[in-house]
Amino acid sequence: MVSSNKTEKNQTGEKIKKSFYFDRWWLLLFAVIVIIILLITFKPDPFRRILLFVSDGISVTIYTTLVSFVLVLFFGLIAGLGRISKNKLLNGAATVYVELVRGIPLLVQLMFWYFAFPSVIQNLGSMLSISSISNYRANPILMAILGLTFCYAAYMSEVYRAGIQSISKGQMEAARSLGMNYFQAMRYIILPQAIRVILPPVGNEFITLLKDSSLVSVVAVADITRRGREFMAANFIPVQTWVMVALLYLVLTLFSARIVTWIERKTKLER
Amino acid sequence: MDAIIHIDKVHKYFGHVHALQGVSLDIYKGEVVVVIGPSGSGKSTLLRCINRLEEFDSGNIVVDGIPLDTAENINAVRTEVGMVFQQFNLFPHLSVLENVTLAQTVVRKRKTEEAKNIGMQLLEKVGIPEKAHAYPLQLSGGQQQRVAIARALAMNPKIMLFDEPTSALDPEMIQEVLDVMLKLAKEGMTMVVVSHEIGFARAAANRAILMDEGQIIEEAPPNVLFSNPTNERTKLFLSKVLS
Repeated sequence: MVSSNKTEKNQTGEKIKKSFYFDRWWLLLFAVIVIIILLITFKPDPFRRILLFVSDGISVTIYTTLVSFVLVLFFGLIAGLGRISKNKLLNGAATVYVELVRGIPLLVQLMFWYFAFPSVIQNLGSMLSISSISNYRANPILMAILGLTFCYAAYMSEVYRAGIQSISKGQMEAARSLGMNYFQAMRYIILPQAIRVILPPVGNEFITLLKDSSLVSVVAVADITRRGREFMAANFIPVQTWVMVALLYLVLTLFSARIVTWIERKTKLER
Repeated sequence: MDAIIHIDKVHKYFGHVHALQGVSLDIYKGEVVVVIGPSGSGKSTLLRCINRLEEFDSGNIVVDGIPLDTAENINAVRTEVGMVFQQFNLFPHLSVLENVTLAQTVVRKRKTEEAKNIGMQLLEKVGIPEKAHAYPLQLSGGQQQRVAIARALAMNPKIMLFDEPTSALDPEMIQEVLDVMLKLAKEGMTMVVVSHEIGFARAAANRAILMDEGQIIEEAPPNVLFSNPTNERTKLFLSKVLS
């Protein structure tokens, strides 16, 4: 299997069609999948047992990552626009947010959202004597998504900022000189170009988020990592357990990396 | 007759640099005004103040009866004033036709079909209808600049501003852009052109203006200004440009 990159270009210069790009890195993903299949086929005890036990954590990891990432894309854009805003208040608020969040370890932030934040809410509820608030119980997945989003939106805002600033000033000027307002210029001219620039770092953020989502295992979310820990605690076979967990993460991250590369190729600018 | 562009004692600073030093200028409907001057003389800055791409520190500019003060007025002026840039600034992620139709649909709220028809007519006018579905980076500089002119015209502007439209072009492509500009001038478009194309100025302009150090030094019909300049600085500058 060698890389085949077929591009067709017709005479009028219409959009070049790109076929699905099948590069050699897909092989690595398939190799990992084959290893998993071999392990559960020829050593079903313990590998098949581990996989079955951990499997419900896979959907939790995917769900937590995907929901967080969609929120990160949205709030990161807002924070990023704040960072480039000429409005001192918006700019200041965005900058303080980014600087603070970047300076605190994600694990500490997750601890705060799951353990400290609900207790703050409860105290507030009893102070105001509102029973529905003083009886507040934190939903682990909700708090995990909140924590991941709060942290990664700050990282993502920097990616957006760099992307937007990489587009030449003349593009904004041309759009404004045609009578578009700031948001129209952003929506139709700047962001579509910036998104192409930031796709690689955004993909990188996604994969990092996917891996960092394993940290939510410490705040009572039954993701792959937590299920692995539970299995190990019950069966005392650490090597096999963590090999299996690592292989599962590899399938997810290698697959994501391929998808990112594919989207990059699909959206390349014509020239 | 009232001026369509009324510039009154405009001052502009870039930090400590006094880029425009109280410039006043009236431009009338249908006039073609060519602004020349050494680099750093403030000619581009003056042009960019007319549609407020550049903010100025004091003075007034009124375009077609609309003062450039509120954000609303600035946008209103911008829809009436087309601008062509030295670096073309076409939108590279959109096809040529989309470049010409986008602002029509987004700002002028025209239907897609109508915008496309107008866009194709304008691409015919600037002589590249066959490139409608190409992308800007696939075109030569001269072609890109002609698309940029079509893009500005698509908004039906009353005034066109040209900021050194041929300075970034290879010599063999300059004429195709100047031809389009000449055609516009003959149709009676009000044009302010920052350019050192003396030939174009002689052929199309009603007035030529020499700026230096943020001030208007001399203004006269192009034949007079280029052949019998009265000011020493004009003579010095022209001797450099014409040689």
